[in-house]
Amino acid sequence: MASLEDELRSALRRREPSPDFTERVLARVSAAPARRAPQPWVRWLAAIAAALLLAAGGLEYRHYRGERAKDQVLVAVRIAGSKLNKAQKKVQMLTHRSTS
Amino acid sequence: MKAAGLAIALLLLAGAAPAQQVKWNFDKLAARASDTVDVSLSGSLLRLATKFLSDDDKDEAKVKKLVGGLKGIYVKSFEFKKPGEYSAADVESFRAPLHAPDWERVVGVHSSEDGETVEVYIKNEGKGIGGLAIIASEPKQLTLVNIVGAIDLDSLSELGGHLGIPEVDVDKKK
Amino acid sequence: MTVLEMPRRAPSAASGLDFASLVRQHQAMVFSIAWHLLRDRAVAEELAQDVFLSLHQHLAELESPEHIVFWLRRVTSNRALDVARRRQRRPMVSLESSPEPVAVTPGGDPLLGTALKKLVAALPEKARAIVVLRYQEDLDPAEIARVLGIPVGTVKSQLQRALALLREKLSRVVGPASGLSPREE
Repeated sequence: MASLEDELRSALRRREPSPDFTERVLARVSAAPARRAPQPWVRWLAAIAAALLLAAGGLEYRHYRGERAKDQVLVAVRIAGSKLNKAQKKVQMLTHRSTS
Repeated sequence: MKAAGLAIALLLLAGAAPAQQVKWNFDKLAARASDTVDVSLSGSLLRLATKFLSDDDKDEAKVKKLVGGLKGIYVKSFEFKKPGEYSAADVESFRAPLHAPDWERVVGVHSSEDGETVEVYIKNEGKGIGGLAIIASEPKQLTLVNIVGAIDLDSLSELGGHLGIPEVDVDKKK
Repeated sequence: MTVLEMPRRAPSAASGLDFASLVRQHQAMVFSIAWHLLRDRAVAEELAQDVFLSLHQHLAELESPEHIVFWLRRVTSNRALDVARRRQRRPMVSLESSPEPVAVTPGGDPLLGTALKKLVAALPEKARAIVVLRYQEDLDPAEIARVLGIPVGTVKSQLQRALALLREKLSRVVGPASGLSPREE
């Protein structure tokens, strides 16, 4: 019997856009108007703003990567700890049986 | 004199050589598994992860202390739709690198309840532990863990009852 | 996901091929998020094009293929949500009049699927986005929280409520013997 989740995955599976979608995107990219060269001080401001945006974007992605990596550490420790404790529990049971 | 100096340099280099990840080949199993958990953390990514573990959360703080000095954490857990999707030969291929002289099997147990076999290996490095490997095989799941670096097994064990790790029931009578 | 060699600067004509490959690789994902949130093909395509135009402008800031996917999901979801909120005041396009785009991989019960899609479309915008990211993109609650910029607790509670609502409404639409088994969350 299918679950609601399986049916949702099926109902919400990805769809393709129109066959010429890529060409239309590229056409829009090419048609984006060229900007006139701004004044030098405007260029400096733009460069600083771009550097700040880049730093902010980089920081945001670093945060995303860090959180994902942290989740992976916790998963790994949980799995390793579970298996180790299972072995330890079995050893203790066997030891207890042999001494009782 | 020069030869002696070179020999000393080589010895020092050998001592300073970083602990290596166990070379396991997962291609065959990955193709047959219905689900895979894959963790591969080392170097800067592992250090970054450690920074994101909270000092305010008790469990995360313990994990932070546990993994702080490690060089790598690798976990692969394969789930299969039915038993028999992997063979004893597959498991033996994962044991093979652990037959090296610096690896020592410290525990090997089998549970008839759930059919799971767990083997724990440690890598000896001087007077301490340089790594840990666990091979856990059950009818529909195979898990391989490799931790590179000086892992404190007692601290790992003490996480039982936290983070979803089952607690070890001490002295339980049957 | 295949690893692409990403141009570090905004693509020039010479690297136009790289950007075209990017569009082809991710167009189904971007379009589908927009489509499932808006249920209007024309608007979803327009939004998807805008997202790729923005991607072209911001490409130099993105560090890796994984970052690009994260960025695309986030920008598409947030822009679609903005559009959905604005459209709430205007009459909705009937789902019957909006042609169904072709699915990447076919499957599932078409009648049940149609009913489910309508019910998902009727969810509040944020819940709809969470359901789409969970079941179209197979993201876990922590990842959904990062894409939408909301707490993970909110994602989990909204997801639970949405599923309960969908289950209840679905049983009224297709009958109690819908054949759907309850599943542990």
